[in-house]
Amino acid sequence: MKRNTFYLLAGIVALAEVGIFWLSVDLERPILIQVAFVLGVLLLYAARRRVEDRIEDERTAMITQKAALRTLEVFWVVFFAVSLGGAVAAFSRPLGLRPPHPPLDPNATHMLVIRITDPDVLPFDLFGRFAVGQLVLLCLMIFLYVGFRMYYARKYGEWDTDEEQD
Amino acid sequence: MKNRIKVYRAMHDLTQEGLANELGVTRQTILAIEKGKYDPSLDLAFKIARFFGVAIEEIFLYGDTAERK
Repeated sequence: MKRNTFYLLAGIVALAEVGIFWLSVDLERPILIQVAFVLGVLLLYAARRRVEDRIEDERTAMITQKAALRTLEVFWVVFFAVSLGGAVAAFSRPLGLRPPHPPLDPNATHMLVIRITDPDVLPFDLFGRFAVGQLVLLCLMIFLYVGFRMYYARKYGEWDTDEEQD
Repeated sequence: MKNRIKVYRAMHDLTQEGLANELGVTRQTILAIEKGKYDPSLDLAFKIARFFGVAIEEIFLYGDTAERK
């Protein structure tokens, strides 16, 4: 497989993942996108091994390592700060993650839990906020990594051209 | 670290792509080494020297040696 074919395949997989994500939301089946994501990553790993053109060597490995290390150095601070904020928000309530229980009615024979909200609307509760927060952090991490990757790639001559290429 | 890879390539009538293929690295790596942006590992430096059939210090010039030459 040529290198450009691999990049084309990666683009197609990314588009398919977006489509499956919306399908997963539409069908309310989270497992769809989860399985599709893992399969997509496995497919790309398998395809990458079949690329005939050399795309990795000691220099690219060093660029990847440096970018990953810098991302980790920055990200663990961000992640820790956000997590600390979340922990403070959680523990500042009386029972931690849950609001206090309503007082029990001694005359009641049955306890009924009634949702006052619209049953068709999923409440954007703590778990939802946590998931979205994680996605935001993950996106931040990816942006950081790409930024560092570009910086080190430029530093160690990734996109240089010379007379032979012109 | 300065080097004379370009000179030796010219002597052997080799392109960067050709040398990269011989050494099992990417063309950009050869280019980066030639431009002094990337210092190769000792292993790769020996491979380059061995490929051209010369001593490693004939190709790679480091520190004071680079100044003298």
